[in-house]
Amino acid sequence: MNRKVRIAQLTCGAEYSGVQKEIYDAAESVGAEMFFPDIALADVERAVKAFGLDVRSADLKLMIARGMALVEGKVEADGVFIGTCFRCAEAAIVRNELRRYIPENSKLPVVSYSFTERTTSGTLLTRMEALTTIARRRALLAREEQTGITMGVDSGSSTTKAVVMKENKIVGTGWLPTTEVIKSAEGAVAQALEMAGLARENIQAIGTTGYGRFLIGKHFGADLIQEELTVNSKGAVYLAGHQRGASTVIDIGGMDNKAISVIDGIPGTFTMGGICAGASGRFLEMTAKRLGIDITELGPLAMKGMGKNVPMNSYCIVFGTQSLVNALAAGSSPEDVAAAACHSVAEQVFEQQLQEVDIKEPVIMVGGTSLIEGLVYAMGQLLQTEIVVPPYSQYIGAVGSALLASGFVQEK
Amino acid sequence: MAKVFIYPATSLILSDLVARFGHKPLGAALGIRERIQTAGVDSPPLQITPEEPKRGLKYAAVEVPSGVRGRMAIYGPLIEEAEAAIIVTDADLAFGCMGCARTDELILFSLRQKGMPILELKYPTNEEEGILFVAAVRKFLTSLPEEGEA
Amino acid sequence: MAEYIPKYVGTITKYVFIESPSMTPGELALRAYEASEGVLIKETCFGLQLTGVPEAVDRLIDEIRSFDPTHIFVKDRGFPPGDPRRCRANLGGARPGYLGHEREFRILRYITRGLEELDRRGEDAEVPEAEVLREKRPLLDIKRLQELIETEEQ
Repeated sequence: MNRKVRIAQLTCGAEYSGVQKEIYDAAESVGAEMFFPDIALADVERAVKAFGLDVRSADLKLMIARGMALVEGKVEADGVFIGTCFRCAEAAIVRNELRRYIPENSKLPVVSYSFTERTTSGTLLTRMEALTTIARRRALLAREEQTGITMGVDSGSSTTKAVVMKENKIVGTGWLPTTEVIKSAEGAVAQALEMAGLARENIQAIGTTGYGRFLIGKHFGADLIQEELTVNSKGAVYLAGHQRGASTVIDIGGMDNKAISVIDGIPGTFTMGGICAGASGRFLEMTAKRLGIDITELGPLAMKGMGKNVPMNSYCIVFGTQSLVNALAAGSSPEDVAAAACHSVAEQVFEQQLQEVDIKEPVIMVGGTSLIEGLVYAMGQLLQTEIVVPPYSQYIGAVGSALLASGFVQEK
Repeated sequence: MAKVFIYPATSLILSDLVARFGHKPLGAALGIRERIQTAGVDSPPLQITPEEPKRGLKYAAVEVPSGVRGRMAIYGPLIEEAEAAIIVTDADLAFGCMGCARTDELILFSLRQKGMPILELKYPTNEEEGILFVAAVRKFLTSLPEEGEA
Repeated sequence: MAEYIPKYVGTITKYVFIESPSMTPGELALRAYEASEGVLIKETCFGLQLTGVPEAVDRLIDEIRSFDPTHIFVKDRGFPPGDPRRCRANLGGARPGYLGHEREFRILRYITRGLEELDRRGEDAEVPEAEVLREKRPLLDIKRLQELIETEEQ
C-alpha cells in the first residue's frame, strides 16, 4: 500500500468519551492515519468570528477553526472525520454546519458521526474505509463502463447477491438469503454463472462488498474488496444512467441504512446507521410475516392501504411490532397496516438520516427494499419528489463491485 | 496548606498563584497524571477508557453526553477533595480538558454547591487590573487556613 | 485490548514558563541544570519541563523561582516530557492545551506587574482588589438602585 491516507479529525469529546483509540484503530485498519490540523489561538478567534456560529464550548470553536483551515487550504488532508458526543445539542449544530460547509467549499470527502462511550472501531470501520477509498481510489471510482467479464458479490446481513457482467451488460444474477456466509455466496455465484452460461475460469476480475466482504473476498481471491458506501453509490448512478452531476442514493438495508450524497459517482457526504432495526428492512420483513404474506407482496398491499389510518412508530422494532399487533387487533385492514409500516420506516430514515445529507435530485433508491413499492411511495411523499428505482436495484452492491472490478481486468 | 480547585482547571496563572502563596492547586493535570501513571487498558492519548464515562454517572445522569461524564470522572473527585476554589469566569478559550461548556457549567455548579470559600473574578486586561487581580487572589489565599491535610 | 504499562510512575512533571526581559529560556535552562540534582530537565520554547520525585521537583522549583520571581510561572503537567501521545509531531497539530497556554501567555505581563507592585507595597499594604464577581455581593448595588429609581421618576 502506498502512503497513508491522512484524515483530519474534527471532534469534541472523543478523548473524554474514551473512544479516541477506537478512532485511531479504525483508521489504522484501513491504512489511514488521523491528525489534528495545526492552528494557533489567533486562528481560532478569527475563524469563530468569520464562521459566525457563536458556540460556548472552546473545543467546538477549535473544530470550526480547524475546518476553516482545511477549506482555506492552510492544512492539507485527504478526508475529514467530524465527530461529537451523541445527545449534545450544541455539538450537533456545529457538526451539521461543518459537514455542510466543508464539502460545499472544498473537494474533501467528509464523514460525520456522533459517538458514545460504546462506540467501537468496528462501528467506524466502514465509514473510515469509505473515506480512504474516496481519497485513494478516485481514478478507480471514475470508471463509468464495465469491460471484460467480471463478477460482483454482495454479502449482506440478510441476503447474498451475485452478478456477472460482460461488456457493460448484466448477463447473470444470483440471490440467496445469507445463512452461512461462504455457502450462501457460493450458491449465489453458481446461480449467476449458470444464468450467464459461464464458468468461474471465464471471470477476469472479482469484486466483493457487504458485511461479509473480507471473508468472501479471501475465499474467491477477489481483486477488489470494498465497503458498500462507495460501491453502492457507483452502482446506483451507473444503473440509473446518471453518472455525472449530483444525486442522492438511499439504501434501506436489512441491518442499517445508508444515505449518500453523490457527486459524479463519488460519495460526498454520507450517513450510515439506524438506531434500531425498527428503521430498517428488518421491520418490513417482520410486518410481512405478521400479516402472513411474502415480503414481495407487502409493497403492492401497502399501495392499496392508507398509512394515516394506523398509528405506528417503528423507532424501536419492539414498539413498532407492538403497534402493528395492536392495529390488527383493533380491526385495521392488512392494507392499511402494510402502508403504515412502510410509512414508518421511511419516516425513520427521513428523520434520522436524511437530515444529515443534502438531498439533491434525482433521489435513487436501491437495495432489496427498493422493490417494496409502498416504501418507495412513502419516501417519495416525504421528500416530495419522484424516486428513481433503477433496474436490478436489488443487486446494487454486486453490480457496483462488478463494474469497479473491471478496472483490474487489464492488469491481468 | 489548603487544596484549592482552580477554574479553568488548566490555568497556568491560577496554578502558579495558588502554589506561590502556599497552597495546593487542584487542576486537570492531577487527574490526567493519575491516569497516565496507572496500569490498565491502553487508551491513548489520555488513558481515559470507555469505563470513565460510566464512572462519571456518579456526577451526571446517563442522558448527559459521554464527553461530559468522562470529564466529570476526572473533575468530580478533585471537586470533592477541594477545600476552596478560585474561579475565572471569562475563561472562554480554555481548550481540551476545559473545552466543553456543558461540563464547565456542571463543574462551576458543583463548586458553588459545596459551601466552601470561593473567589470569582475575571482575567485582567491591563496592568492596573493585573495588580487588582493578584491582590484579590493573594488576599483570598492568605485568608485560607494554613494547616489541614496537605 | 492492549495492555498499558505506565512509565515514570511516582514522578511529577511541572511546566516552568518564563516571560522575562532579563532571562531567556536557554539561560534559565543552564542555571536550572546546575541545580538539578537528579531532576530531569527538558527545554522548551517557553521554558522548561521538570520531571522527578515530588520533593526533588518542588525543591528545584523553589530554586528556579528565585532566579526571577515575578517572571517565572509554574504549573503541573499530567504527562511526562516528550510523550508521543501529546507530541505535536505525532498529532499533526498542537494539543488543545497549548492554545490555552497561548491564551494565558498574553496576560502574564499583567500578573507580573501585579506581583511586582504587591512586592513593592509589602505584605500588609492595603491594595484595592479586583471586582469580585460573586462572593458576598448584593445583586444590585444600593446606590445604583437609588439612581434607577430617580431616573424612572423624572
